Amino acid sequence: MTDFLHLLHHELLLSLVIVCMLILKLADRGRSGSSWSNLLNVLLLINFAGGLLIEAEGSLFDGMFRSNALLHFEKNVLSLGLLLVGLLATPYLRNHKHSAEFHILIASTLLGMFFMLSAGHMLLFYVGLELATIPLAALAAFNLNRGESSEAGAKLILSSAFSSAFLLLGISFVYGTCGSLQFEQIALTVSGNPLQLLAFTLVFTGFAFKLSIVPFHFWTADVYQGAPIPVAAYLSVISKAAVTLVFISVLYSVFGALQATWTPYLLITALLTIITGNLFAMRQDNIKRFLAFSSIAQVGFILTGILGANVDSEGIVLYFLLIYLFSNLAAFGVAGLISAATGKESILDYRGLHASNPRLAWTLTIALFSLAGVPPTAGFFGKLFLLTSGASLGNYLFIGIAALNMVVSMYYYLRIVKAMFMETTAQPIGKIPTGVAPAIALALCIAGILVSGLSGSFYEHIHLLTLSY
Amino acid sequence: MTAIPLTHILVLSTLLFFIGVFGFLTRRNLIAMLMGLELMLNSVNINFIAFNKYLYPEQIEGLGFTIFIVAIAAAEAAVAIAIIINLFRTTHHIDAEQADSLKY
Amino acid sequence: MMDPSLIAFYAISAFILVTGFMTVISTRLFRSAIYLLFSLIGIAGLYFLLEVEFAAAVQIIVYVGGIVVLIIFSIFLTNQGGASMPFPHLIRRNVGAAAAMAGAAVVGTLAAAYEWHPFPITFDTSMSRIGHMLVGTGEGSLVLPFELVSVLLLAAMIGCIVIAMKSRHEEK
Repeated sequence: MTDFLHLLHHELLLSLVIVCMLILKLADRGRSGSSWSNLLNVLLLINFAGGLLIEAEGSLFDGMFRSNALLHFEKNVLSLGLLLVGLLATPYLRNHKHSAEFHILIASTLLGMFFMLSAGHMLLFYVGLELATIPLAALAAFNLNRGESSEAGAKLILSSAFSSAFLLLGISFVYGTCGSLQFEQIALTVSGNPLQLLAFTLVFTGFAFKLSIVPFHFWTADVYQGAPIPVAAYLSVISKAAVTLVFISVLYSVFGALQATWTPYLLITALLTIITGNLFAMRQDNIKRFLAFSSIAQVGFILTGILGANVDSEGIVLYFLLIYLFSNLAAFGVAGLISAATGKESILDYRGLHASNPRLAWTLTIALFSLAGVPPTAGFFGKLFLLTSGASLGNYLFIGIAALNMVVSMYYYLRIVKAMFMETTAQPIGKIPTGVAPAIALALCIAGILVSGLSGSFYEHIHLLTLSY
Repeated sequence: MTAIPLTHILVLSTLLFFIGVFGFLTRRNLIAMLMGLELMLNSVNINFIAFNKYLYPEQIEGLGFTIFIVAIAAAEAAVAIAIIINLFRTTHHIDAEQADSLKY
Repeated sequence: MMDPSLIAFYAISAFILVTGFMTVISTRLFRSAIYLLFSLIGIAGLYFLLEVEFAAAVQIIVYVGGIVVLIIFSIFLTNQGGASMPFPHLIRRNVGAAAAMAGAAVVGTLAAAYEWHPFPITFDTSMSRIGHMLVGTGEGSLVLPFELVSVLLLAAMIGCIVIAMKSRHEEK
């Protein structure tokens, strides 16, 4: 029994938090939007802090649910991300009459991600994946009076259901050829006959949709642009990180025997993803679309890291995801604050931001530097590690192209920095009130970027964790 | 009843899946796209049940998976339809092509 | 002389495929929904033929009784009852058809060519066995995903209510 509580403590705590939110909402007597946000953010803080307390290793229900120190660490990272998104969403939710529902839905997607990460069985993985996507579609459509937002929700749910169907077809053939849905059993029986290769290709396609890997990326920019900014931030950071981590464990442990097949897949898609993301990011004027394409390019770099498949790869990817989480949340956070206060979302509107809002401008600059991988920010080390991981296979031409793209990407990230610091406009953005909660979140993000970049012990910790599992 | 060969069932489900894919790719009406999706999910269900019955009848995992797919498909369809109705309310169309406020 | 169950199988398959195909090519949305209804009933018939009665019952209750009705509701709520959909653009139609046929050819060939080894014992799908699988705690129990699905349904319900419900303020 205590075993049960220890292994499932993240999930049980989060479920409890969701139930608390529901009860609070039911007992509501006309509470205002901002006091809701504060209350619910406290619950998310409890969720994050509670997750840190216990570490246990083992499995439940015949290996259907697995847990260990590495998974606990990953869940803590995701909980922290949810807390940051919750804090950053405060200005957006101030005037929204469904702020409690927003938090309930977003917390339930996190629950789905937890189960997906811990899954040792295809069914639990699938249910967790759907729980992590379906409420997000509802959240993307949360600006109820804007057609754009509904379109984003419709596109998200239809394209994710389409990809799930391919994933399921693949899983059905895995079941047919292996006779089991347990990850361990599948790993033992996968032999690489043609039908299994097909099944794997279908599963890979399903993941490619969810991770918006080129050529399955077409929904991403539209959804990010139409969805409310906190939701776009959550989609691009937290849900992407969770799916990436599961993708790694599916590739390395379940389909480890098919490495000869997935290496070329990853190589080609990584190349396409990096180049397409960069080319399109250059042409965007809307900050949300810009961040969407830049996050597509970042996924390409993550794939490069996964490609390495050596002992260090998983730790490297996890380290990069952590940096990416802080950097991208900071960028989305600043964009969200500006959008909530002024409604401006074009990069051209950011001209002269440094003069009126120096703190926001500096925050965005650090975040963009880190995303671009400008030394000595954390993003530089993250990308460097990813490239070295990919280079361990010896395809230096590919690594060269990826490195070249990293340099090209600096151009468009710095374009925004240039606009903020060196250009002026006739209608500059006025002084924007930050508010306490978003300020804390942004400060945490910046601290995260700086600490993880400057202190080596951070990477050491992650590295040791991944080595032992 | 084992007179029905497994491969024939698999051919049926494959054809049904790709009929659904065809519908999803060619339709521009969001509700019609949703119908294509339902066909795809149903064909996967047929696969699971056929594999379970023919190859691994000693357990019923495949049948269990089917039940879960049905439940999740229902939730998915409900959310999709709620979003489509709200889209219609704000823009008076439910056409993926006319949705040109978002373009590449 | 063909086995009667085999004849029934071919008849049901043809029915499913024809109605399924009509679902995706019919130019009237409401007719599409009705064809979908028939196709799903055909699949329920297939499950009966395979003697998996529970799946057939679930298919009829949830798909036919739930999802299709939901789709028909949404057609009327969006005033598309008699609306006709323009035929898809020629290029889009051809590309879609080519992609679907290529996919079907690859998957169908590989699945048919695979050497399956049927295991000829009866497939026991009694209610008690299914019940033990779904909510029992013994070997092979699916109680954890079962509980998780309940969270999913709750979240989907909340999402639907928030999005689709008109608030009183808006109507005023």
